[in-house]
Amino acid sequence: MSAIIKLADVTVTRGGKTLFSGLNCAMRAGEVTVVLGPNGAGKSSLLLALAGLISASGTIELHGKPLSAYHRMELTTQIAWQGDLPPTEFGLTVRQRLELAAGESGEDVESTAATMDIAALLQRPLGELSSGERQRTELSALMLRDTPLWLLDEPTAHLDLKHQIHCIQMLKSQRDKGRAIMTVLHDLQQAMAVADHLILIDSKGGAEYGAAHKLFESRKLTELFDAPLTQQGCALIPDYGDCK
Amino acid sequence: MTLRWIALACAIAACLLLGLAAGEQWINPFAAGDGLEHMILWELRFPRLLTAFAVGGLLALAGAWFQVLLGNPLAEPYVLGVAGSASAGAVTGLMFMPESAWIMSAGAFIGAWIGIVAVMFFSHLGPNRMLLAGVVLAAFWSAVLALLLALLPEQGLFRAFSWMMGDLSHSDLPVPLLLLAWVIALICGLILSRSLDKLLLGERHAEALGVDVKRLRSRLLLLASAVTALAVTAAGTIGFVGLVIPHLMRLLFGSLHRAVLPASAIGGGLLLVLADSAARTIIAPAELPVGILTAIIGVPVFLFLLLRRR
Repeated sequence: MSAIIKLADVTVTRGGKTLFSGLNCAMRAGEVTVVLGPNGAGKSSLLLALAGLISASGTIELHGKPLSAYHRMELTTQIAWQGDLPPTEFGLTVRQRLELAAGESGEDVESTAATMDIAALLQRPLGELSSGERQRTELSALMLRDTPLWLLDEPTAHLDLKHQIHCIQMLKSQRDKGRAIMTVLHDLQQAMAVADHLILIDSKGGAEYGAAHKLFESRKLTELFDAPLTQQGCALIPDYGDCK
Repeated sequence: MTLRWIALACAIAACLLLGLAAGEQWINPFAAGDGLEHMILWELRFPRLLTAFAVGGLLALAGAWFQVLLGNPLAEPYVLGVAGSASAGAVTGLMFMPESAWIMSAGAFIGAWIGIVAVMFFSHLGPNRMLLAGVVLAAFWSAVLALLLALLPEQGLFRAFSWMMGDLSHSDLPVPLLLLAWVIALICGLILSRSLDKLLLGERHAEALGVDVKRLRSRLLLLASAVTALAVTAAGTIGFVGLVIPHLMRLLFGSLHRAVLPASAIGGGLLLVLADSAARTIIAPAELPVGILTAIIGVPVFLFLLLRRR
């Protein structure tokens, strides 16, 4: 199966600082790639670069064509990006936010809202939501975007346990429907549950891509996070016994 | 929602009738004869009413645009210093040609555009830094204005202050031009309304939904500044309308710009018609500066709706 998006020797620089360099990877339909790494390593920046929202050097090809050759509106039919919604003061409601995401797609706002447990919040202004409710709204907005590629920046952040599980199940079901998904996660158990591939970005500018079952090993992750892995973090790692 | 639009339509009719009827002499528009009353109604009050409506609408539109452009609910048409530079231009004109009837408008128009060009230099910065640059520029223009007022001969001071607080009695711009500007500004706003809605989500999210944010911001800045320049040229600096009317209309009609912009264009116009009617009636035959009345009428209405909404 041909790759939806392909990266060759990609370097991301922000504010004059090179975050990481030399990343090569390819994402195919029905695959989940999880991005792991410490704070500030460049995980969110990688998603922004793939969404065409910041520039990156190297080659990024979407369906075999350079990402930069796409018109911004054309990209919205191919890529959906989910990130933290900044505070908004203008009274925009949850329903209006979802309708903006749905655009002309004709996707059903109400049933999508119901799947993320926010049907009762549709008339509420975004500014009055809790962080978790806002996150569920953003996940609903993403679900209304029927694009082949999804980019998610910490989708389980701020969610309670029930909705974290719900979110991970949703990612799995979307993968099974053939969606290509790249997501930044901090919870290793969640990463283990959904990842087909991993991208590990360290704080020294290195980036590594590979199959999850090969990269998910305790020594590598201990080095990556510069911290001993706790039982919570390692419970699902195959060689967990080695890091106790 | 439909009821609110019907109420707005009724308010238009009521304000227009009041604007025609009110003044030093109360005239029933339906019973005016062909003589002096007819002349007062249709040659004096009607053009002034239309000027007030267009200027108020333009200020409210500019306010709505600046609030979205800067991502700041406290933004208003004069926030980037355009009013200060226009006032400095008007007073400079008055200083050199005190006898001329149109010199303040011409000076204001030139001054406003000098202010806009100065702001444009900072338009590539993000909203917060552009706002900061605008506030600093506004302080600069205020200092220039204070200097000019200190140098202005005493006989020009009353005219200058009257203009600076809003003056619809000496508008030199043709009414059809102002009405045309109102229509064009509203159409431009409606064309951009979907992108403006997306910009409410923040620049990044708007871009992810296909908005060319850089281009939208440049267009908005130019449009809002040009509209402000026109309004200031027509009627001096009238505060409050551009700040509060967009918020008032959001409370009544929701946040989407396809509703907020037309409602603001109409609501701003109505507020200024009401304020001007009061300004030329309360101490007739003298007139109060209309800017004082916009605040006195608008603030209680806005605060009432704000409390009711909570």
